[in-house]
Amino acid sequence: MTAQAEAQRLLPRPLLVTITVLLCAMVLVPLAYIVLASLNSDVGVASGEFWPSSFTGESYSKIWTTADLSTGIVNSLIVCAATAVASALLGTSTAYVLVRYSFLGRLTILRGLVGLQSIPGTLMLLPVFVLFSSAGNYLGLTVIGTRWGLFVAYLTFALPFSTWVMVTYLRGLPRELEEAARTDGASTLVVLWRIVIPLSLPAIVVSGIFAFLLGWNDVLFASVLTRPETHTAAVALQIFGSAQEGGALPVYSQMMAAALICAAPVVILYLLFQRYLVGGLTAGGVK
Amino acid sequence: MRYGRAIALAGATVLVAAMTACGGDDEGGGGDGAGKTLNVLIGANTQYPEEFAAWQKSISDKFKAQTGADVKFETFASANDELTKIQTSVVAGSGPDVYAVGTTFTPTAYSTGAFVKLGDEEWKKIGGKEKFVPATLGISGPDDQNQVGIPWVSRPFVMAYNTELLKAAGIDKPATTWDELTAQAKQLTKGDQYGLAIAYKDNFDPWKFVWGMSTQAGNPLIDGKTAKLQDPTVKKAYETYFGWLTTDKVVDPAAIGWTNPQAVAAFSKGKTGYFALTTATAINSLDQGAVKGKWAFTLLPTVPPGATSRPANGVEAASILSGDNLLVADYSKNKDLAFEYVKLVTDQEQQLDYYKKFGNLPANAAALDTLKSDQKLAPLTDAAQKSVATPFTGAWADIQLALTNVAVQTLPDLAKGPVSAATLDGRIADAQKKAQSSLDRAK
Amino acid sequence: MSAVTAAPPGNKPGSKDAKPGKKVSERQRPLWLLTPGGLLMTLIILIPLLLALWISLIDLDQYTLRRWVEAPFIGIGNYVESFEAGLPKSIWLSVSFAVLSTAVTVPIGIAAALVTQNAYRGRALVRAVFLIPYVLPSFVVASVWRTMLQPDGIVNETLGLGSTLWLSGPNSYWTLVLVEIWAAWPFIYLMALAALQSVDNEVHEASAVDGANWWAKLTRVILPYLRGPVLLACLLATLNHINNFTLPFVLFGAPAPDDVNVMPMLVYVTSFQGLRFGLSAAMAVISLILIAIPLYAYLRAVRLDVDK
Repeated sequence: MTAQAEAQRLLPRPLLVTITVLLCAMVLVPLAYIVLASLNSDVGVASGEFWPSSFTGESYSKIWTTADLSTGIVNSLIVCAATAVASALLGTSTAYVLVRYSFLGRLTILRGLVGLQSIPGTLMLLPVFVLFSSAGNYLGLTVIGTRWGLFVAYLTFALPFSTWVMVTYLRGLPRELEEAARTDGASTLVVLWRIVIPLSLPAIVVSGIFAFLLGWNDVLFASVLTRPETHTAAVALQIFGSAQEGGALPVYSQMMAAALICAAPVVILYLLFQRYLVGGLTAGGVK
Repeated sequence: MRYGRAIALAGATVLVAAMTACGGDDEGGGGDGAGKTLNVLIGANTQYPEEFAAWQKSISDKFKAQTGADVKFETFASANDELTKIQTSVVAGSGPDVYAVGTTFTPTAYSTGAFVKLGDEEWKKIGGKEKFVPATLGISGPDDQNQVGIPWVSRPFVMAYNTELLKAAGIDKPATTWDELTAQAKQLTKGDQYGLAIAYKDNFDPWKFVWGMSTQAGNPLIDGKTAKLQDPTVKKAYETYFGWLTTDKVVDPAAIGWTNPQAVAAFSKGKTGYFALTTATAINSLDQGAVKGKWAFTLLPTVPPGATSRPANGVEAASILSGDNLLVADYSKNKDLAFEYVKLVTDQEQQLDYYKKFGNLPANAAALDTLKSDQKLAPLTDAAQKSVATPFTGAWADIQLALTNVAVQTLPDLAKGPVSAATLDGRIADAQKKAQSSLDRAK
Repeated sequence: MSAVTAAPPGNKPGSKDAKPGKKVSERQRPLWLLTPGGLLMTLIILIPLLLALWISLIDLDQYTLRRWVEAPFIGIGNYVESFEAGLPKSIWLSVSFAVLSTAVTVPIGIAAALVTQNAYRGRALVRAVFLIPYVLPSFVVASVWRTMLQPDGIVNETLGLGSTLWLSGPNSYWTLVLVEIWAAWPFIYLMALAALQSVDNEVHEASAVDGANWWAKLTRVILPYLRGPVLLACLLATLNHINNFTLPFVLFGAPAPDDVNVMPMLVYVTSFQGLRFGLSAAMAVISLILIAIPLYAYLRAVRLDVDK
């Protein structure tokens, strides 16, 4: 093992240490500043202090009333988790057909999947809103302001990437197991559920996480598709960060605290799934 | 694996249930208000979050008691956010029933034609036009017959000044002309002390100075269908505004990066003579700082820069007509309820309550009268009466943006010293072009 | 499950791909499985996209918004106006910003992948640290940097730069690039790391036996393995940079300094502040076409259909 590790060593030790330290500093210095600023007073932050002259955790208690973060985080978690699960599963079944069967238009669909990822959100905002509100006007379905509406939008935006990740992954899966199951008379759905999905869990996790993040980071769509009770964390943060009544004092400290609170769930999620993520990306992009 | 799948299934079920619950369904039932929901769009208040929530609750309760219907408040973060909400709702023909719209965005909202024009009947429903301070009706519509905006609150702009610093510098009376202000600011600037706090990087402040100074000099920026930005008055206004930093050096150099809250913070430290553009909502913030007990409001100068008295065609514009108007959406299915709501929040009692909680002045004349006795508020009520409406055209939002853009693009030059006339001319010409093309499209 | 086993079997460079499924495809094909996804994408992406195309051909502004169906058709009028309304400069800014950001993130990302390839105590922690900029929401990254880069903010204070303006004027462009780099390099890092892990152990051993020094080994043996994946990561990253709206919007606000008026900003301001929806849609369509160029390269590079 040591010999192998030695063989795999890519960089001389001093260089390795230098680069690691530099990169960590690049990330950690601003991060440390955020943490310290969130524990500082607004006046302290405004005067350019790095190390607070007095520490206070006040921002962390205040922020929950200033910005409606708790509602936001709950909504974000629900909508994004649902998006993640649904887009991963739907992506898998779509990808399965695209990989295992040949039919007319298959290539077009595959290319289209990539193409759909490049449409700018600013272009889609108004049309999507028009579409959703016409559903309300003509079909009597309330879409705008509901979590369902947001979920459907995110699911759709996440689907091309999820499918793409699954296509590249499934391509590499041996088909013998499926063949065997089919000989036993299993239907496509059963094959998918019993064999394909369990085998491709790493990739499913990856596509799920990307879908989750897509929803978590979105401000553009959420700001027009939600109402106060369905606001996402990003929207709550944005309302707090850009509300500008004349006469208010800047609230840096709470801003930083809110930033950390909103980032925490995603960071935890990433850390939990980190190992899957690297592997799944191999499947998604590298081939 | 089985186990995992069961968990996944359970998880999915919970998610679906969670999404279905609280879906924001607001289908109205029949009957007189009972079971109906009125949606109101209003600016978020992060300065007084608890009071804001309490206010919403109390209005909802009162409204429920009066009409049987519920009020649901939606909030927007910033003026940009608000415009987006208005646009998407207008195009879709659905959304909030009542909008609280900033005065300067009322013309834009009007130009969409998506809000109820107020006839005699509508005014009667909300308690009559007479109940409002006459000046506040100045930006309700292009003329008396075509009004959409119902005045709700007013936030006239004033200056705050540090009484101690002025006294120490031997200034017995705050400035009433812009030149005087500059001169006093110079007197006040020494050591770590500055004469003026200006929020140069604010996205909403800069154009107000330019508009004010030009209007006082007799150029309200728009003449019918013609934009008049390339006018000596406008240039003089920009020169004065930038000059405070570059030639007069009466402003902290860091002010190039300040937005309004940062200017408030700077002034409240007690080391600045004047804070040039603020409003009643700052009272609380100022009282939190070192300046507590040592400051007062006063009117912004009303004599244009370079003059000792206002020219004959100049207007005594102490402030833009500022505050919020209430607009009822044309597509609303609850118009009667909407007017009931408007009536409620423009009542004397509610207006005073709102003033006490958030510092916004009442648009209700009777309510404003009761505040007249408050000496500290005198400059504010004075400014409210001397507020002048910005031109009522659908192009105004663009013009405002173009004026601000001149300031935004000039910021880096300010750091280097005085802005050359040629540079400024070029930027103003650009703003003029944008303003004119927007006016040309106005209907 | 470790990262290495998470990579799909049979995907390693050099090994054969699974055989195409001619046999299976003869049987009944469950094409209906495509319908839910297809339906959603048609409904939520394609129809709005067509609607946007239509909007780009009509004179839709605040005056016609309410009856947008009746807004006058003006053909390519909006497209012509786009070019007068500052689009070419925005395109140039967007493209240069995106390419520059990608170009700088690549060496950083690869270096980061190289230093975390070999196991050592605390590597998991370092890997976690490397991911942080990537997982912070754009809105957060932008707000935080905006605060730090104020004239009297922490950056100037610490570096002793006086009141250098980072958020206005020509510097703002470099601010945008730097913050984007700070937030985006981990994407390249992830892709490079994944590619590194697919390098067979024999390759390492062979070059070790050769006694090649680390630099020769790196440039001649390892980096060629990374070329394909990193190239693809570059294309994806460039697309993301071009479409990034949140970062410039939150960092600089609107109106933005001319130097950072990138395409998404121009599109947003034109539509939601200038209220020219038709014009803005035309701009967005042009930018979509612009994006299609690197995309075409991408589609060819990924060998969409290895089965054939």
